[in-house]
Amino acid sequence: MSGVIPFQDLVEALEAAPAGRPFVTAWIDEDEQETVTFGEFRERARTQAGMLLQHGIGAGDCVVILMPQGIAAMAAFAGAMMQGAVPALLAYPNFKVEAEKYRSGLAGVTANLKAKAVVIDEEFPEEMLGHVSLGAETKLLRAADGGSKARKLPVAMVQSEDVAFIQHSAGTTGLQKGVALSHAAVLRQLKHLAQALHLDPATDCIYSWLPLYHDMGLIACFILPMVCHVPVVMQSPVDWVMHPETMLQMISEHRCTLAWLPNFAFQFVPRRVPRDRRHEYDLSSLRALINCSEPVRTASMVEFQKAFGVRREILQSSYAMAENVFAVTQSNLRRPPAQIWADGQQFRSAHRIVKVAEGTPGAVSFTSSGRLLPGHEIRIESDAGAVVGGGAVGEILIKSDGLFDGYYNRPDLTAQAMVDGWYRTGDLGFCVDGELYVAGRKKDLLIIGGENIYPQDIEELVAGHPAVHDGRVIAMGVYNSDLGTEEIVVVAEVENEALLARAAEVEQEIRSGIVGGLGVAARTIVLRPPKWIVKSTAGKPARSATREKLLKEHPELNREEVAQ
Amino acid sequence: MTTEAQQMIEHIRQLIRKPNVTIDEDTSLVSSGLIDSMALVDLLLKLEDLTHMRIPAGKVQPKDLDSVAKMFATAQRVGKPRK
Repeated sequence: MSGVIPFQDLVEALEAAPAGRPFVTAWIDEDEQETVTFGEFRERARTQAGMLLQHGIGAGDCVVILMPQGIAAMAAFAGAMMQGAVPALLAYPNFKVEAEKYRSGLAGVTANLKAKAVVIDEEFPEEMLGHVSLGAETKLLRAADGGSKARKLPVAMVQSEDVAFIQHSAGTTGLQKGVALSHAAVLRQLKHLAQALHLDPATDCIYSWLPLYHDMGLIACFILPMVCHVPVVMQSPVDWVMHPETMLQMISEHRCTLAWLPNFAFQFVPRRVPRDRRHEYDLSSLRALINCSEPVRTASMVEFQKAFGVRREILQSSYAMAENVFAVTQSNLRRPPAQIWADGQQFRSAHRIVKVAEGTPGAVSFTSSGRLLPGHEIRIESDAGAVVGGGAVGEILIKSDGLFDGYYNRPDLTAQAMVDGWYRTGDLGFCVDGELYVAGRKKDLLIIGGENIYPQDIEELVAGHPAVHDGRVIAMGVYNSDLGTEEIVVVAEVENEALLARAAEVEQEIRSGIVGGLGVAARTIVLRPPKWIVKSTAGKPARSATREKLLKEHPELNREEVAQ
Repeated sequence: MTTEAQQMIEHIRQLIRKPNVTIDEDTSLVSSGLIDSMALVDLLLKLEDLTHMRIPAGKVQPKDLDSVAKMFATAQRVGKPRK
């Protein structure tokens, strides 16, 4: 069925799925999993649809779903679509989320959605509930009990141009932006994606721990398999982060063929699985592990490959975002993504790519995110707003047959993001030989005396120092008004506290390493004991939160305010 | 106080590196800002270790881990014996 999706809307696609085929297998505990077939899933979705109908929820009504990751949340989502309603899945509170932050984020997002109904599960914590922003007409509903008999539902008239659902852009909770997507736009994306992946419902099986409230988890690991009738094996992000090894167990046990992961996971998993247990897992069923959502780092993928002995060509890449439903590019699954080396000085000062041989001193390396999917266009814009080509580095703008029309209820944000039908991604990148390379986020870029310095490059260099706990480094630019430019401040965690005794020596070595590798000097190197750097919910260093923590502890570093 | 609770307190002391702070079973950890929420993964893994239980992370909220006493009560409530 590769590339052929003969449906007008997502509900029709679900209705057409073979009833007996397994759809979702949810990991509950090490000795407990639950599987539903497409037929059983449809029944559960109808039960949820019936519950919504009973409460007067119908076509075009926004329905917020606040349920733990799992089959019930997915059924509520599909059930809302069956009614022609517009579901939006939001993050469920978990033990790692600061209650205050969660509450304010939830209040902001729910207020913007102006939902007709908010669906929660039985166990939703009471103390969070007061902060779900409920309008005068919003109904708070408990998800229907899966056991009750699904009633015969009137067939909702879903048009392919109707909004199917709202997904939220990645970002700090509360600042997340809602993206409304039509059935037709989603189906166009899935058609391109299924084709690029050579997706085959008879042999493929997707593994996922990705949250359903982001595009990678929602589109690639729920809507794609639902529409293309492919089984999916999933667990929740909190279960994965606690016991990442369970990912390997599930892939081995269910012979999964496809999975998407953010870059950091390619290092996180090997580092949490002891060497003597790695051989216990059989990952030979995997066709592709797709590195998505951040700049793709070959070193991270190689670490995974070496740890588990998988074939190099299964490590693939993609560039994706909620505003485009999902993928903009996908690497060719038949070979490993291209990797190039470029002159470091030209990259930083002239913002262009001049290819050099592998191993050339001062060279920087990039891994391709693949080629554009059909129906997609891209353009690279310089700081001055000129469209540039030929290996020039600039902001990536996209246009496609699946692009969103704007942020939900936020014309102000839409106006900032769209120019003449092009979407400004805020990512920096370039094209070489018809492939897209993503260099980093525009807002994270450090501009040091007119040179563009990517924090990831500094972090990779510093992480290579033996005293530094690998991966626990944050590089940032702090504006110095005396000098009129940003200066580099690096905070790194040492392997153990004893190393702090020789901090001066380590600092000096790190400084030399940065100058040697990038030709720029760091103003301040701050060494901290293990676990000092603030981590994101998924366990990777959180840039802005760490910056805040550092500047609070060292107000003298911040010379920005003096300028005002 | 049980040996396990004492071990947990010792673990927390090492984690926060504040020698002058006294921690007992009822000291509030998260809401007082002693422990940041990112360290909770570590504490939950330690709790699994000390209780020989598997604790479904999805059933735990920050308030359930706010003191050593609450942690062990949470383990009793939602934990499952390990295989």
